[in-house]
Amino acid sequence: MSAQIQTETAGGAHGESRTLAYVVVAVLLAILTAMEVWISYVHALLPVLVPLLIVLSGAKFALVALFYMHLHYDSWTFSAIFLPALFIALLVVVVLVALMVRFFAGF
Amino acid sequence: MVALPKQIEVDENYLHGGGILGWLTTIDHKRIGVLYGLTTLFFFLIGGIEALLMRIQLARPENTFLSAYLYNEMFTMHGTTMIFLVVMPVGLGFFANFLVPLQIGARDVAFPRLNALSYWIFLFGALVLNIGWLANAVPDAGWFGYANLTERYYSPGINIDFWSLGLLISGIGSVLSGLNLLVTVVNLRAPGMTFMRMPLFVWSVLVMFVLVLVAFPPLTVGLIFLVMDRFFGTHFYQVVAGATPLLWQHLFWLFGHPEVYIMVLPAFGIMSEIVPVFSRKPLYGYPVMAYSTALIGFLSYGVWAHHMFAVGMGPVADSAFALTSMLIAIPTGIKIFSWIATMWGGDLKMKTPFLFALAFIVQFTMGGLSGIMHAQPPIDLQQTDSYFVVAHFHYVLFGGSAFALLGGLYYWWPKVTGRLLDERLGKLNFWTIVIGFNLTFFPMHLLGGEGMPRRIYHYAPDMGWNTLNLLCTIGAFTMAFSVLVLLINILKTVRGGEMAGPDPWDGRTLEWKVPSPPPEYNFRQIPVVRARDQFWREKYGFETGGLQPSDAVRPPATPDALAGEIHLPAPSIYPILLAAGITMAALGMLIWTRIALCGAFLIVYCAIAMAFEYPDAGAQSAASAATATGLDTRKIGIWSFIGSESLFFASLIATYLIYKGRDLAGPTAETMLEVPLSTVTTFVLLMSSLTMVLAQDAYRRTDRLWGLRWLFATIVLGLIFLGGQVYEFNSFFHKGMTLQTNLFSQTFYTMVGFHGAHVAIGVIVLLALGAASLTGWFERHHRDVAVECAALYWHFVDIVWVVIFSVVYLMRAVTKA
Repeated sequence: MSAQIQTETAGGAHGESRTLAYVVVAVLLAILTAMEVWISYVHALLPVLVPLLIVLSGAKFALVALFYMHLHYDSWTFSAIFLPALFIALLVVVVLVALMVRFFAGF
Repeated sequence: MVALPKQIEVDENYLHGGGILGWLTTIDHKRIGVLYGLTTLFFFLIGGIEALLMRIQLARPENTFLSAYLYNEMFTMHGTTMIFLVVMPVGLGFFANFLVPLQIGARDVAFPRLNALSYWIFLFGALVLNIGWLANAVPDAGWFGYANLTERYYSPGINIDFWSLGLLISGIGSVLSGLNLLVTVVNLRAPGMTFMRMPLFVWSVLVMFVLVLVAFPPLTVGLIFLVMDRFFGTHFYQVVAGATPLLWQHLFWLFGHPEVYIMVLPAFGIMSEIVPVFSRKPLYGYPVMAYSTALIGFLSYGVWAHHMFAVGMGPVADSAFALTSMLIAIPTGIKIFSWIATMWGGDLKMKTPFLFALAFIVQFTMGGLSGIMHAQPPIDLQQTDSYFVVAHFHYVLFGGSAFALLGGLYYWWPKVTGRLLDERLGKLNFWTIVIGFNLTFFPMHLLGGEGMPRRIYHYAPDMGWNTLNLLCTIGAFTMAFSVLVLLINILKTVRGGEMAGPDPWDGRTLEWKVPSPPPEYNFRQIPVVRARDQFWREKYGFETGGLQPSDAVRPPATPDALAGEIHLPAPSIYPILLAAGITMAALGMLIWTRIALCGAFLIVYCAIAMAFEYPDAGAQSAASAATATGLDTRKIGIWSFIGSESLFFASLIATYLIYKGRDLAGPTAETMLEVPLSTVTTFVLLMSSLTMVLAQDAYRRTDRLWGLRWLFATIVLGLIFLGGQVYEFNSFFHKGMTLQTNLFSQTFYTMVGFHGAHVAIGVIVLLALGAASLTGWFERHHRDVAVECAALYWHFVDIVWVVIFSVVYLMRAVTKA
């Protein structure tokens, strides 16, 4: 039981800045976006475009969630709330699409 | 002029004071619980009358008491009312609202004004659902609202508009309520109240709150598609455009089956409170019961398509959903055995609440067994749309849920009102409803077996169904008599029932520690919890292991001393006004656009007014409240909201992928989308996340100047992103791609449009924060956590766009989903 509310947990102790980390993440996001756009134009990569884009956009998603949304720094409680919901959301997309694609294809 | 949080009189009963305005502006969880209780009781009577009218119609063959149209309206509104306006809100709104803070040792819920807002939204949504009775436009497409029946072509009136808008509105209230109570359980537990010391009722409703957050978004998306089809001419469910009504079924049952557990879980929790108290024993197998509850919640999300075996999903899908549907019987069975084991060897007290609990076990088990039959596709195909199904779900939801809820009503009525319900009338109520229930619904198994379809308004006299149908009707009127007995009991008690005292049943949990009815602040001192069944052990000793010593004499209740001054937040008028604004905005679409605009204005005004209403509340709670996790309640709230929103966008993205490449004509993603422009807007949005996190960092360092600079940079980048979207939409319109053009256009505009709306809301929030910071309001009132919450929302909108950018723009040339 904590004696006080940790309003400052997300950013660590008062006064400590993470500006450099945030800028590095922004640069990485920009690079990953550029890679995504580039591979979307390479015709030869079309057969593997979907998995490649899933990996790259997944990396961007993770960077924002971990560093900008502070899941990396913050209490695990927030991850425990968000990650199961994210897992279920992914499951919904995959299962719904799979069911409907099979339905349209006549199983 | 801002009202300060009020200081309250010692031991002032929560029911006293304030008059009508006090009830309209209340934010006390107990009063809000009572409001939910009264509202659901009213709709229970309405839904019951609808059921009686249907039973009169079916009492004999070829009856003409109701027309076919009226019969359709009756079964539609009976199902909708009982599910959305009775069983679910009585668990979520009445029992959970009233009991959770008391059982976990809290003074109120996490967000009291949000709690009031949830109730008023629910009430207005319920009124919109029922307003058709006055306008002679009653919804008539079934509580499941299957497409195509609900499309404008088949339902040209405004019946379905009331239904879809009413459900959308009340759904918002349910989600907010679930979020609020989830955060309450996570963060406001009393010191020492670990998860494994929580009462089982709290465990059960905790899982229910999670289900509410993840189950409602797919329904919301399905309803949005329906509203768009009906109002804006899209074709989300129309085969003629290449779409399929099956999408509605998936979205609806993705909500619909977890909804069954949303209705059943509170009943499980009530059972787990009543059975130990009236058996004079601790609950058998508490940890396994808690894990089973969580497992039921998880599995309940993976069984939805067993409602759809008859549509032809294929053997693989059928087998998978049959397996998960049968699996869920295991944790449910554990519960049944645990309750029986708790009673075994106990000193059973046959009071009315316990009688209802006993009936629950028998009847719910019967409903569960017929449920396992439906879980097998070959059997389900025979039973689909027959009265056997009607019998099954009434055994689960009436014989199960409603019986437990009635037991809970008798059990906690003394806590709510301070008076005991009459025991003799209670037993009359119990026996007549048991007889009436089984007389009504058991014959329906046989009727279904004999082939009687559900939702028929009459039948031929030579079908062999006459006697059984007459029995059902007699049973229904027996239940009506029983409900009348309950009402008389309630009225008699209100006028002068036996005073209950704080602990009339020799209870085990913390709510029995406080007076009946409780004071507004619940506890004079926040209790320190040392064990499960804390209050029982306080009375009989911690060394008894939860068992009552044979020579125990029940100790007299000794109230705690008052711990200093207690501050509670003051009432607020804004929740009811904001709920009215939402209703106006929705109904304005049906009546007059200007009303909708007024509603939108009222929403924005009240939302901002609520945010700034009590500027000292945040600082006070930060200074005085020690939370169970040590984390800020508001941050847990925003993360829970983000979790729920994930399901909303997942449903939108899934729909886009499902319909991708299925256009019969018109533009496609490959021909329309311009990657260079969207790359620029994507980059802008990503950089807005950088400026947002820098603003947050600056505010954390109390560097207001840089905080403001980065905040306004974020706003500017957000506006640039929105401008890019407006430009893109405009260029598409000029190229002839409207919302109605084809499946691609409608899924694209809807998904990207809703994302844009989220960005726009984010910009408004940031503008409000910026204005507050400019005036120094922020710093004066220690609201830096507000920036953090706004930032989390902003980043979430950003990562949703990361997914949309890849799925929509970069995969534009991928034709197969």
